[in-house]
Amino acid sequence: MNRAVLQQLGIDLPLLPTTSVGSLPKPPDLVAARARFARGGMSQRELDEITEEAVLFWLQRQEELGLDVLVDGEMYRGDMVAYFADQLDGMELGGLVRAYGNRYYHKPVIRGPVRWEQPMTVGWWRFAQGHTKKPVKAIITGPYTMMDWSFNEHYPDRRGACLALAHEMRKEVEALASAGAKIVQIDEPALSVRPDELPMAIEATRIVTEGIAVYSITHACYGAFEQIYPGMLGLSTHNLDLAISQSAIDWIGIMRRAPFTKDLSVGVLDVHTYAVESVQAVRGCIERAMELVPRRALWVTPDCGLKTRTVEEAIEKLGNMVVATQLVRESAAGRQS
Amino acid sequence: MKFVVQNHSSYPRVGDKPGQQRLRRAVAARERAEIDATEFAATERATVDEVVHEQEHAGVDVVTDGQIRWYDPISHVMGALDGVRINGLLRYFDTNFYFRQPVVRGAVKRRGPIAGADFDMAALAARVPVKPVLPGPYTLARLSIIESGAYANVAALAHAISDALAAEVAALAHAGAQVIQIEEPAILHYPEDIRLLRQLLEPLWAARGPAQLCVATYFGDAEPLYAQLNSLPADILALDFTYSSRLAETIAATGTSKLLALGMVDGRSTRMEDADDMARQVDALLRHYTLDAVHLLPSCGLEYLPRDRARAKLELLAQVRRLLTSTP
Repeated sequence: MNRAVLQQLGIDLPLLPTTSVGSLPKPPDLVAARARFARGGMSQRELDEITEEAVLFWLQRQEELGLDVLVDGEMYRGDMVAYFADQLDGMELGGLVRAYGNRYYHKPVIRGPVRWEQPMTVGWWRFAQGHTKKPVKAIITGPYTMMDWSFNEHYPDRRGACLALAHEMRKEVEALASAGAKIVQIDEPALSVRPDELPMAIEATRIVTEGIAVYSITHACYGAFEQIYPGMLGLSTHNLDLAISQSAIDWIGIMRRAPFTKDLSVGVLDVHTYAVESVQAVRGCIERAMELVPRRALWVTPDCGLKTRTVEEAIEKLGNMVVATQLVRESAAGRQS
Repeated sequence: MKFVVQNHSSYPRVGDKPGQQRLRRAVAARERAEIDATEFAATERATVDEVVHEQEHAGVDVVTDGQIRWYDPISHVMGALDGVRINGLLRYFDTNFYFRQPVVRGAVKRRGPIAGADFDMAALAARVPVKPVLPGPYTLARLSIIESGAYANVAALAHAISDALAAEVAALAHAGAQVIQIEEPAILHYPEDIRLLRQLLEPLWAARGPAQLCVATYFGDAEPLYAQLNSLPADILALDFTYSSRLAETIAATGTSKLLALGMVDGRSTRMEDADDMARQVDALLRHYTLDAVHLLPSCGLEYLPRDRARAKLELLAQVRRLLTSTP
């Protein structure tokens, strides 16, 4: 599959590479610091120092757990769309809107032509990569989701807004690649929202990634993927990361009809429950996923970012994921020998 | 012609002003066991009062409880039925709002009131009629997972849910609801099931007593189904115009056999419509409308908007009503 792409980039990963999707829970002192900063009780420099400590905390935990591709945990981000919208010219944060339960976010508003002004994530990626020998995955929110999760008061239609965002978000990927990032994940949780707009999302992803020397992943979650499969295989990214552990979709049946042609990151942890999946349960998820794609094309991840969990829950969940993956690797190696 | 301004269904439970955050804080405090059930219930009640009054001040003639106390409409209603457990999150149609998906494991049966307490709470606060809103049997069945052996298919489950909701409609009518809204957005995605929907709504229609039954579709183009929607057992048909370029034209050309509730103000966009334009569009659409009343409402629930814009959309509707009633 796309092992060759990784190898060309100088990245050698074991069978069934493990990684977190992106966000990790903010340690309590960072949560308190962000609240104090929002009230004007702390300088940006002071907040950055506490944020750096949180990034280092999570890098160390991920190394200890044995994850293969690390993330910075998005310690510096609040909402995944608002973080970028706040820094793109032409967008601003709007009022609070509920996402689910007691979760609210400041839904951005596109008020004028969108323009990338400067790197938004490169400094944090560079900081994280500078503190580990393992590859650190860079993560941005994709243009389709940026468009879908924002109010559009400027562009005449959704397509106009989406493609304009794609051209600007590409500049962030270029900046990440220039800084040395080898693996870039584009978060597109809205991917399956309007199946008739899949060609738009594919075109936008192509604009973001085409010709840039990175191994690219599209992360999507909690959608009606059966409605956009196999069309979604037209995405230009090398790897599709899908939330499968809680999915009622019959992936085996679907992929029997149209084989999966990319690397697959399979979500094996439910991020919306505090209950920690047993090693055995995770192992079962991985083994079922091995029926979907060749094992060398399979990655293992949680369903989504773990930021809604506590630090302890996230560590325990990721730990069981790594242990389960190791057991599957050993089992696979045993069968081969 | 009488023009009636209705809220659609949901209303933002939290706003950006400090005083509008108390329910959010209370939910978090309850999860941390920092407040007891009595204190939490008082905050819920105060928030329902607040949003009811906000709708009234905006000029709305028929308000809702805003679905303030519900996690989401799907899991709230299905979770109140026997035979159902609630699973993980799933996106609600093409919005960026997520509901917890029901899993049907056995025979579904209504255990008791589902929306009664919410209706009573809002009715106590309101000076104008309160409209209870329930997701309909077809949409609930479509958005559920049916475990093996529980029901043969979506239609069988939907019929069972229909029976449960008929009892709820009867209870709400008995409690004094003048209009009861049943939401069926899923039918626009499965138009081939329109006959099934008609059968599913029959028990609710029969149970409505003196109340009017309003059937609402949204998040899709209703134009191809417009004629069949007109034949549903309902007193009022609420339509979302934001997905269709031809719906207004079709209604203007063919008229209607039911009272219409016109969802021409976009409940998902912060862009504000022009009241004069809107009034002209409504006027043109009513060319062959022979009934004596028409309802004006947002295209969908208003929880997809920030609170200040939700209120502004309702104020806009009231302004459109003023323009229409002042037109000679």
